[in-house]
Amino acid sequence: MFKKTPLNRVHHDLKARMTDFAGWELPLWFTSILEEHNAVRSRAGMFDVSHMSRVWVSGKKSGQFLDKVLTRSVHRLEIGCSQLCLMCMVDGGILDDLCVYHVGTDEYLLVWNAGDTERKLNWLFRWSESDADITIKNATDDTAMVAVQGPAVCQLGSMKALRNLPRFGHTRAKIDNVEVFGARTGYTGEDGFELMSSIADASPLWRVLMDQGVKPCGLGARDILRLEAGMMLSGQDFDASANPFEAGLAWLVDLDERDFVGKISLLEIKRQGIKRKIAGFEITGRGIARSGYSIFKSGQEVGKVTSGGYAPALGMNIGLGYVPVELSGIGTGIDILIRGKMVSAQIVDRRFYKKGG
Amino acid sequence: MNPKEYKYTREHEWFCPESENTGKTGLTKYAESQLGDIVFLDLPAPGTQVQQFEKMGEVESVKAVTDLFSPASGKVVEINTKAVDKPELVNEDPYGEGWLVRLELTKPSELDALMGSDAYGKYVESLSQEGSE
Repeated sequence: MFKKTPLNRVHHDLKARMTDFAGWELPLWFTSILEEHNAVRSRAGMFDVSHMSRVWVSGKKSGQFLDKVLTRSVHRLEIGCSQLCLMCMVDGGILDDLCVYHVGTDEYLLVWNAGDTERKLNWLFRWSESDADITIKNATDDTAMVAVQGPAVCQLGSMKALRNLPRFGHTRAKIDNVEVFGARTGYTGEDGFELMSSIADASPLWRVLMDQGVKPCGLGARDILRLEAGMMLSGQDFDASANPFEAGLAWLVDLDERDFVGKISLLEIKRQGIKRKIAGFEITGRGIARSGYSIFKSGQEVGKVTSGGYAPALGMNIGLGYVPVELSGIGTGIDILIRGKMVSAQIVDRRFYKKGG
Repeated sequence: MNPKEYKYTREHEWFCPESENTGKTGLTKYAESQLGDIVFLDLPAPGTQVQQFEKMGEVESVKAVTDLFSPASGKVVEINTKAVDKPELVNEDPYGEGWLVRLELTKPSELDALMGSDAYGKYVESLSQEGSE
């Protein structure tokens, strides 16, 4: 049995093609993945992201606690701001990437990926050591979340209350009489907001945005948008078997100053250096690489594709995969075994698509 | 919706006879709508010998890959290069502009094993019912 988001009925009414994602029934596409991708790149699209976990951490020691379990300090994160960071295991493996919002004094909101959410919650509970000054509350099932993304999003009448937010800024606001917690973030490489609402308000919010021309989009479009923008998908491009240096996520790790879970291992990994690294590639031959396909160099298997597909914004077939560090340089030629055929590819900057570029 | 004069396979290819032993083949509307946006076609080179119901190519959508099977045995005489360059033609017009391969049949009697449009329509309906349970 799949879990259903508060917008499930709406998706079925719109005749969306549904799919299972991390145990949730979610739209794969409404009309066409390419049309939805194009709406987000050229105007405005929206995604039901209610499956993502929303966890409140509050109490006198909440900041101190998050500084212990997250790879970037919340110490200098001002109220009204948010930042991306990681939760790492003691051995430096990545438990997940997440966004932490500083909502009020001693009040934080964590938003992380839907997969393995119990494991991450248990991880937090374990490190909080039942301290009475730390409260951890999972609000995922009590709220909905919609991501509105695209270059025209700021011009929408509904976004008046949010359009002056800086990148990663957030605030409580009203959108056509719907109370939301809005943040200027996203996962598409475009400008936009993520809006959290009550369950009851989710459908009215979706309808209001649709009436303003925002196109409902499914996970299919979301996956190629994030891939074009070179954004990693947790559980697919990295998991606990990869460390942040290998996964290209070292920019989310602050190894100065304070101690945090995994820091000792990460310092050691940094000292020793890594052997493999995630890299972006474009197919120069004919074919589409998919997750799990093998990467070859001079006839030797050297790694695996983690994400791959057609990139409509570029008109090319692209992907991400782990390769030995010495083969990760831009311009390096590799081969990918695509269902029995060797197809040539080349390492490129993994931010394949750049806004306005 | 599925042309009356075409023949259909259980794997959702169609065959449109053009003469006694030649015809065009492609994917059905049902296959196209199941796959979603088609972005890549791998079709056999002209001259390739193909066997009935055996794989002769691949069709990829944004999300999925599917094999293309030959509706009958014979030789590939032409492929739709327009569709190779613009795979969305298969979505837009699966029975017309989005045709895939022109075949010269060695055993035209093999076509008797294919479904007519009514039988294929019922077959697709039965699949849709299974899928919704």
